[in-house]
Parts: sequence; C-alpha cells; structure tokens
Amino acid sequence: MVALAEAPAAPPVADRLSRARRMHLALWALLALAATASLASGATGVSLGALFAGMTGAELSGVERVVLYDIRLPRLVLGALVGASLAVSGAVMQGLFRNPLADPALVGVSAGAGLGAITAIVLGAGVSWLAFTGIYTVPFAAFIGGWASTMILYRVSTRRGRTSVATMLLAGIALGALAGAASGVLVYIADDAQLRDLTFWGLGSLAGATWAKVAAAGPIIVAALLAAPFLARGLNGLALGEAAAHHMGIPVQTVKNAAILSVAAATGAAVAVSGGIGFVGIVVPHLLRLATGPDHRMLLPNAALLGASLLVLADVISRTVIAPAELPIGIVTAILGAPVFLWILLRRRGMIDL
Amino acid sequence: MSLRAEGLRVRLGAAEVLHAVDFSADPGEVTAIVGPNGSGKTTLMRALTGELPHDGRVWLNGRDTAALRGWEMAALRAVLPQSTPLAFPFSVVEVVRMGQMSGLSAADPTLAARALSAVDLAGYENRFFQELSGGEQQRAQLARVLVQVWEPLGPDGPRWLLLDEPVASLDIGHQLGVMALVRDYARRGGGVVAVMHDLNLTAIGADKAVMMAQGQVLAAGPVPEVLTDAVLGEAYGCPLRVNAAPADGAVFVLPHSVGKVA
Repeated sequence: MVALAEAPAAPPVADRLSRARRMHLALWALLALAATASLASGATGVSLGALFAGMTGAELSGVERVVLYDIRLPRLVLGALVGASLAVSGAVMQGLFRNPLADPALVGVSAGAGLGAITAIVLGAGVSWLAFTGIYTVPFAAFIGGWASTMILYRVSTRRGRTSVATMLLAGIALGALAGAASGVLVYIADDAQLRDLTFWGLGSLAGATWAKVAAAGPIIVAALLAAPFLARGLNGLALGEAAAHHMGIPVQTVKNAAILSVAAATGAAVAVSGGIGFVGIVVPHLLRLATGPDHRMLLPNAALLGASLLVLADVISRTVIAPAELPIGIVTAILGAPVFLWILLRRRGMIDL
Repeated sequence: MSLRAEGLRVRLGAAEVLHAVDFSADPGEVTAIVGPNGSGKTTLMRALTGELPHDGRVWLNGRDTAALRGWEMAALRAVLPQSTPLAFPFSVVEVVRMGQMSGLSAADPTLAARALSAVDLAGYENRFFQELSGGEQQRAQLARVLVQVWEPLGPDGPRWLLLDEPVASLDIGHQLGVMALVRDYARRGGGVVAVMHDLNLTAIGADKAVMMAQGQVLAAGPVPEVLTDAVLGEAYGCPLRVNAAPADGAVFVLPHSVGKVA
C-alpha cells in the first residue's frame, strides 16, 4: 500500500496465467541449454563435440567417460535438484508468510541445518557410532538440524492447532540467533583443519557432487517438489489471509503443515549436500512474480525450473572463471543475485511493498 | 433451511466476550447484526462462520457446521471479512476468480466480469487490487464473495452471504447500491446476514435486526421492533429517538443530543 505513486505504470496483466504457461515451456528450454553447457564445460577436456558423440552412442575414451558420467552428470543433477529445491522452498515460504521477503533462511531452517553440519564436523570425529554414516555424516546432520529447528519452531508458534505466522517469524529469528551462537561456540573450539572444512561447507559448493549424494538428497527433494503443486491453491487463498482462505474452504491448517514440512525437508536436504547457497530462494520467485504474476499454480513449477537453470549456470561460471580452480558457488550466486535483488528493490519498490 | 446458533460462547484471551448467544436468520431476508463498538457483533459473525473456536452449536440449512468439511461450507456460504489484506500483486479478476474456484460456479468464464459489474467495477478486471481505493477494494472483495455462492438457491437449499460491515467504507451511492444488491440476493431466495454500523441503512436495508450489547443479544426481531427508543438508548447509552419518515413508513434514527441517557 505504500508508495503506490512510485510504481511505474501498471503493466498489462491480462491473462497472466497463459503467459506463465508459455514461460513454462521457455524455462524447460533454458534448463536444457544450461544442462548442455554444464556437461560441456569444466577443467578438463570433454568438448561439446565429444558430448554429442557420447549421446549418439559413439565410443568415448575412458577419461571422457569418467568425467562425463561420474563427475559432470551427478554434479548437473545435484545442481538442478538443489536449485529447484531452494527456489520452490523460497516461493512456498513467501506464500505461507504472505511476505515476499520470507525465506527458509529467515525462519532458522538454514541456521539449524548449519548447526547440524558444524556439530558433525567439529564433534563428529570423536563419536564412534557416527562412523557408519561415513561420508553422509555432515549432510545427514545438516538435514537433522534443519528438520529439528523447523519442528521446534512449529511447536513454539502453534497453539490449539493454529499457527501464528507472526510468532513463527519472531521465533525463527530467535532460533536462528541461538543456532548461530551455538555454531559460534563450536567454531571457537574447532581446530585448524576443521575450520577449513567449515569455511568451505559454509560457502556452498557443488564440487563434491557424487551419485551417492544425489541418491541421498534426491528422493527428499523430488518428493517436496512433487508436493508443491498441491499447495498452490492453498497458498493463493492464504494471500487473502487465513480467515478468507478458511471461508473459501481451504484446509488452512493442513496447507500450513504441508508447506512447513516440505520446506524443512527440501531446504534441509539442499543445505546438506551443497552448504549455504544464497539468493536463489528469494530472487527466483521475485523475478517470476514480476514477469507472470503471483498465481502459485504456475509460480511454483516455474520457480523449480528457473531455480534449477540458474544454479546450473552459476555452477558453470564457478567452474570456468578461475579454471582449473573453482569458485565456491555460493559466492557466484551472491555476486549475481545480490545486485539483481537490489535492482528489483529499487526499480519496483512500489510493487514489492504491495 | 436457516442459519441457527445456540449457546455461542467465545473467549478471547482470558475474557469471555460472547455470553451464550442464540441466533437465527432465515433465507429470503436480510438480517442485520447491530450494536455499539465492542458489543460482540464481529465476534458473533466470526463464531457463526467457524473462524473462531467457540462453545455452542451452529446449524446451516439444518446441518451442524462442526460436521461440515471446509469445501462443503464454502459451497453453502461465502464470507466477507471486515478487511481483507492481500499479499502479492494479484489483479482484480484474479482475486475474484479465487472466490469463484471455491464455489459451485467455478467453470463459468464470464461470471467474474458479471460480478464485477454488479458491484460497479466493470472494466476493473486487469487493474492491480492494491491500486484500488479502499471502497473499491471492498467492492472487489464483495464480488469475490458473490461469485462463490452466485446462485442464491442451490439444489440443496439456500446459499448464504455473511458480510461483516459490507458498506463501512463506501460512499453513500455505493452503500445504497450494495444494500440493493444484497436485498435482491435475499429476494431471490438466498440468506444474508450482515454486521451493520449504520442504523439508518439497517432500517431501510434489513428485514430483521439483532441488537448486541456487552456480548449478549439485547433484542432480536423485525427491524421496527428492534430499533426502538428504549432498545437503542440502552444499547448505545445515549438518547436516541426513532422516527418514521412520512413517505413510506420506513424508520430512521435521529440523534437528539450528545449527552448521556438521563
């Protein structure tokens, strides 16, 4: 309601739903393009030609085969899954909180996941029963941390079966601070090698992508993505407030529960395998809302596609700009995402306030 | 086939704000809930719609609403809250269609436009909801509510409009227009319950009135029996005298002084 006069002349919004459907097709093409770029680029030599040769069944050398199938392909799949998961989680959280600036990071899910990962890195070595989880220890702990913080948050902010969004936001800030403080204590007692691990995990990276990680995080992320379309009508209704949504026959509490669970699962899984990758969850839904409107029926699937494409492209950049070394992808998304975010805020302040 | 409630009690925090209220409204009529600020008008409305947890029972068309599912309720009655904040830049027609999707007329492609024209917002379809004025927003919300229960008589009984201050922020022309619209809805067989602030609009627009005071029903019945000097004086704590206009016998309310009741 603020600063309406600042908003530029209203763009035509007629039939935004069919524009969003056309956008959907275009985003599939973008994802295919990003995937091709991702498979064809990297530190060592699988060329675009070799890639097409591989697709048409021609023989690849042993090195090419390993690079393509065991390094680049799992990395592509993991990047797409994580990107889709971050973008959809952001969109769902924003719909749930009726606030275009809400983000899983805001309600402490990411902080909780971070605490889990840091706990595993710093204390995990001394705990023998953790050994069986092997390379899964850190991702698994991050997932548990994200899940647990969401559950605590949920218990704090729900009374008599009703979740207060305001309480949840405030409790999320408190929980995030608490998780941050606990993480700080752990960082303080960490040794030098652990500090190095912590730093790299925190920056976010897809460099460690393996089929094992895809297998660990993939099913959770895919389940959360498949659940999202069923939330769309409920989130549209919630835009009118919980009372109006209730009057329109939307099972408000069920929608809220499902939204919270899917966000916790998807964010926990994504943070677990890729560390802290920022801005995808907040920039992608914004761009799509500005382009094709806030209707969640198309916003959620389009956010999945755009999030996947952008993260895959960011990963391509992170692998090529300082090749053969790699820039952590969290740095790329922040460098690209933060200015875009500020640009959106400046240009469309009127719209954001709406 | 009516809207009926018995023994409604609502607690907000530690205080009980609605004390064992009985309520009934019939289809074919406009029933106004009136009363001073804080008398429990909106609380009663929110208990009737199932929005607030309450003791006591509510029957809609003879069915206990506690046993009805959300989508069943949505097909029977639509609710206009006092204010409806909207998150995200939806267009007017997108907001109206959300109501349409919840009702039995979800497939009609021209309904949203017809409803907007019924509330005098024809041509506003592709405007952003948040760019409308307060009164226009309220009428757009009324259109959303109307399309949810567009046909006043369904296969299984009347449909209901439950409106919390539907004319509060409208200019006088649109106040009368909206009252005419809901009267027409009732005349065609639907039921209308409206929380009203304006006693004169109540007098000319409503058939029945329920006067609330301090969380209880002070008086209920046909408008001329509720809007009397005695009831109004007790409810509002100021001297009010009801007069009949000479033209067609409708009552109107005329404040006579600003002092307390003697």
